[in-house]
Amino acid sequence: MLPILLIMPILQLVLFGYVVGSDVRNLDLAVLDQDNSIQSHQVVDAFTSSGYFTVTARPTTDAQLKDDMDGGQAVVAVTIPKGLSDSIAQKRAAQLGIIVDGSDSRTSQVAAGYAAGIISNLSSAFYPTPGAPPGATLSAGVNAQVRVLYNPTMRAVNTMVPALLAFVIMMSTQNLMSQAIVKERERGTLEQLFVTPIGKADYLIGKVLPYAALGVVQVALTFVVGVLWFQVPFNGSLLVIGTGLLLFMLSALGLGMIVSLMSRTRQQAQQTSMFLMMPSMMLSGFMFPIDAFPRWLYFLTFLIPLRYILVIVRSNFLKGSSFMSLWPQFLAMAVFSVGIFLFGLSRFSKRLND
Amino acid sequence: MRRILAIARKEFIHILRDKRLIAVILIMPLVQLFLYAYALSFDVKHLPTATLDLDRSTYSRQYINALQQSNYFTVDKTLGSYADVDPAFQSNADKVVVVVGAGFGDNIAAGRAGDVQILVDGSDSTSAQMGSTYASVLSRIFGGKILVTQVEAKGLNAGAAGGLTASTRTWYNPEGNSAAYFVPGLIVVLVTMITVLQTANTLVKEKEMGTYEQLIVSPIRKIELMVGKIAPWAVMGAMDIVIIAVVGILAFGIPFRGSVWLFAGSSLLYVICTLGLGLIVSARATSVDSANQLAALVSFLPTFMLSGFVFPLSSLPAALQWLSYLFPARYFMVICRTVFLKGGSLAILWPQIAALAIFATVIVVLAASLYRERA
Amino acid sequence: MTDGTTPTEIAIDARDLRKDFRLVHAVDGVTMTIPRGEVFGLVGPDGAGKSTLIRMLATVLEPTSGDALVFGKSVVTDPHAVKPRIGYMSQAFSLYGDLTVQENLDFFAELRGVPRRDMASRSERLLEFSGLTEFKKRQAQFLSGGMKQKLALAATLISEPDLLFLDEPTTGVDPVSRREFWKIISGLHRQGITVFVATPYMDEADRCDEIAFMTQGRIILRDTPAGMKQRVPGRVIEVAVSDYRAAMPILHDLACVVSLEVSGEMLRVLVSRDAGACESTLRDALSDAGLTVVHVTPVATDLEMAFATLIPAAGSDLDVSDQQVLAVSE
Repeated sequence: MLPILLIMPILQLVLFGYVVGSDVRNLDLAVLDQDNSIQSHQVVDAFTSSGYFTVTARPTTDAQLKDDMDGGQAVVAVTIPKGLSDSIAQKRAAQLGIIVDGSDSRTSQVAAGYAAGIISNLSSAFYPTPGAPPGATLSAGVNAQVRVLYNPTMRAVNTMVPALLAFVIMMSTQNLMSQAIVKERERGTLEQLFVTPIGKADYLIGKVLPYAALGVVQVALTFVVGVLWFQVPFNGSLLVIGTGLLLFMLSALGLGMIVSLMSRTRQQAQQTSMFLMMPSMMLSGFMFPIDAFPRWLYFLTFLIPLRYILVIVRSNFLKGSSFMSLWPQFLAMAVFSVGIFLFGLSRFSKRLND
Repeated sequence: MRRILAIARKEFIHILRDKRLIAVILIMPLVQLFLYAYALSFDVKHLPTATLDLDRSTYSRQYINALQQSNYFTVDKTLGSYADVDPAFQSNADKVVVVVGAGFGDNIAAGRAGDVQILVDGSDSTSAQMGSTYASVLSRIFGGKILVTQVEAKGLNAGAAGGLTASTRTWYNPEGNSAAYFVPGLIVVLVTMITVLQTANTLVKEKEMGTYEQLIVSPIRKIELMVGKIAPWAVMGAMDIVIIAVVGILAFGIPFRGSVWLFAGSSLLYVICTLGLGLIVSARATSVDSANQLAALVSFLPTFMLSGFVFPLSSLPAALQWLSYLFPARYFMVICRTVFLKGGSLAILWPQIAALAIFATVIVVLAASLYRERA
Repeated sequence: MTDGTTPTEIAIDARDLRKDFRLVHAVDGVTMTIPRGEVFGLVGPDGAGKSTLIRMLATVLEPTSGDALVFGKSVVTDPHAVKPRIGYMSQAFSLYGDLTVQENLDFFAELRGVPRRDMASRSERLLEFSGLTEFKKRQAQFLSGGMKQKLALAATLISEPDLLFLDEPTTGVDPVSRREFWKIISGLHRQGITVFVATPYMDEADRCDEIAFMTQGRIILRDTPAGMKQRVPGRVIEVAVSDYRAAMPILHDLACVVSLEVSGEMLRVLVSRDAGACESTLRDALSDAGLTVVHVTPVATDLEMAFATLIPAAGSDLDVSDQQVLAVSE
């Protein structure tokens, strides 16, 4: 049991770090080249050398292309019409066909974007603008220079590791807490305890402390591995994230108590826990940008404690944000955590009293 | 055979007698379905954006307007100077700051490139990535329009100057219905979570209840026990899949272009895989606690991360890609997406189906062999 | 099923069975044979290894070394040949709480391959036997302790096994149910079914054909109940006094007294067989001490006393093997 608990955070780190933020690249590309000229080969080279695409299919007919896309061998296709080299030689406009698999709208949009960029560069290369020195690449009029602040490498791990600190607490503390209480209820030992002179507060503290401690250990482990192994930069203060995480732990403990109240068996508790965790994962900004949610859902996210702690942890890690800049989140966290915890506590005591 | 049926019937009774369980299995997934199908999309929209216009020309205003018009950016404030940039980010009020350089308008008018800086908050990498991509694309489009206007103003035919353009078509989901992408995937994830947990508990519970020993003393064979345990859950799982699918189709208007039989058959195979996985956990776990933890570990995370549910597999580092081949979810995901959005047929999908069939057999046999027939 | 096809004379043939749990020798070399059709009782203190032994014989637990042949088939190498012929009832309730009485019976019948046409009649008979007919539709978790055990027994009997392993089947059961339970067992005996039962109750051990004392993983003594009692080196006299605590040291000092134990408020005194007039010696000693003697009566030796005196004595000579034990009892 214990080894599992220690391995889990590391496993999550690896999975989340490498998977979630992976940039869209190496997309499977199908090339239907009906021109077969030097220029058409240059087009294909431009695509592959960008690093965004890997040629996985070379259909020779439209029907084959359709099969390749249907079967998932390719998610993007570029069709080069016959006569491309002629058009270029005669300085006539030419058009390439880009087909994207819209099933995955994110990938398809990004793919379309990449493709457009590549084609735009190719355009400048094939058709030097009159009056401009050959080879001059204009960003078609606007030179947009993108600078990413605070996380210049845009490594997803850098945003995932801080997030995982909170996530780890949620997974273990909340989950284990609910399991532990329900286990005692199942075994009937809960009733045994009532017969002893132990105070309710003492019982709860005794129950809560080991899991809180475990949570701290897991967070520390994640932190160390994240910073040392994954080399995530830490620009913030331990005090800030420590406070935030403690508050979050309170809310996790409270939720764990509430789950245990609703379940009669451990299996139910586990299932309920998992089903509470999924919305937290999905709707808190952990993986999916909240800004894109429909309005009603956007407002719903204000109810999720994970949302706030994510902002706190990520901001502090990468931007060095202080208590001052983060006060709205801290306030929300405090209200939530204390609120949930006290609620859970009162329900729990009430149940104990029955 | 009789023994298998006896076990299956007993399991059914257990299920039916636990009302809570039924509610959880049927209702929870539907609730989740609704939440996520609405929420999940990678279309980053409404990115809170601040602008710093150092040029204040017609062109700069046009540019900023172009950004605002697209749904991607929501310009909610204008900054006064560079000094305001960091605080804007620190307060997490804005994710993007667009700085239009002084001289932007003059440069454009003179046929040179205008300079713009797009500053993105890297602490939210998804938004950052999307934001920067969209900003670049929009800038290019804006520039392209300007170019055309300029060229035409000079009396030239824009097309005569040549130029390579692209005609982009989106297949299968042209309207960009995110639900169409996610719902099939959600089916896989939700069903996996439910099924693995059930069978993971079942053998361990027998141990805890003491009935395990009775099973040992009876002449039942290990493989019979496994099959009997899986059968009722296979039925429940398949039902679940159908329900979620139907609701998904009706409520979200996602298409279903493939063969129902193909879908049903592969669903059954997949469910057997996940149930078998749960049995493997169950066969060796010593307590309900570790069974639960292991089940979560084995079902939830890999299905979520390594099946191509949200994150395209082609983007993963090679090691993780290899790993994903070990999980049946990957194959079922392809089948689901294809059947819903593209159509697909046995001829196209046979590799995935074969993979599922192999997995199903191997897993069940493995579970049987891992099960200890002694206490 | 005693159908007369080559009846094996030996039901159980255990050969140096051992089971170690880490450093503990739970079963430390048990060798014995149990003839078919016998009711065999295993008696011993807690932790003696009775459950472990039974579970090994019932193919539930794998022996660390040694083997046992049940009806000629090895539990180690051929357990699947053994399982169809046995039934096993563990100490804890081992049926499905959320299944009804009838459902439990049906399940185990199907599991054990009871012919379909016999299922209904057998289960009805068993339910009646156990007095559970009116509770057919009740979920097993809602039965009282005694009923649960009777149901468990019925579930093992439904397949009409040739050999029944019972591990302390009546622990925690009310006396009335206990008696009914043993009525059932005697009935089984008459049908020729072999019963191997571990029990902490001496009155139950008394009803067995043979019993064995087990302690610290070994069988130390084995005999019929009558034989055991005869081995007790002495006669038992029951003494009832006004103050038994005061009486104890007085009696201890008497020469003819071997040992004594307390039973409720009375004293059971073991006196050496050849001490002819020990009763009067006792009476005198007690009244001389000023205690009121209510009665001093000889009683038959019972297994309780046998247990108490023989185990410690035999325990000091732990290399007793089955052969030697059998030889003595003949």
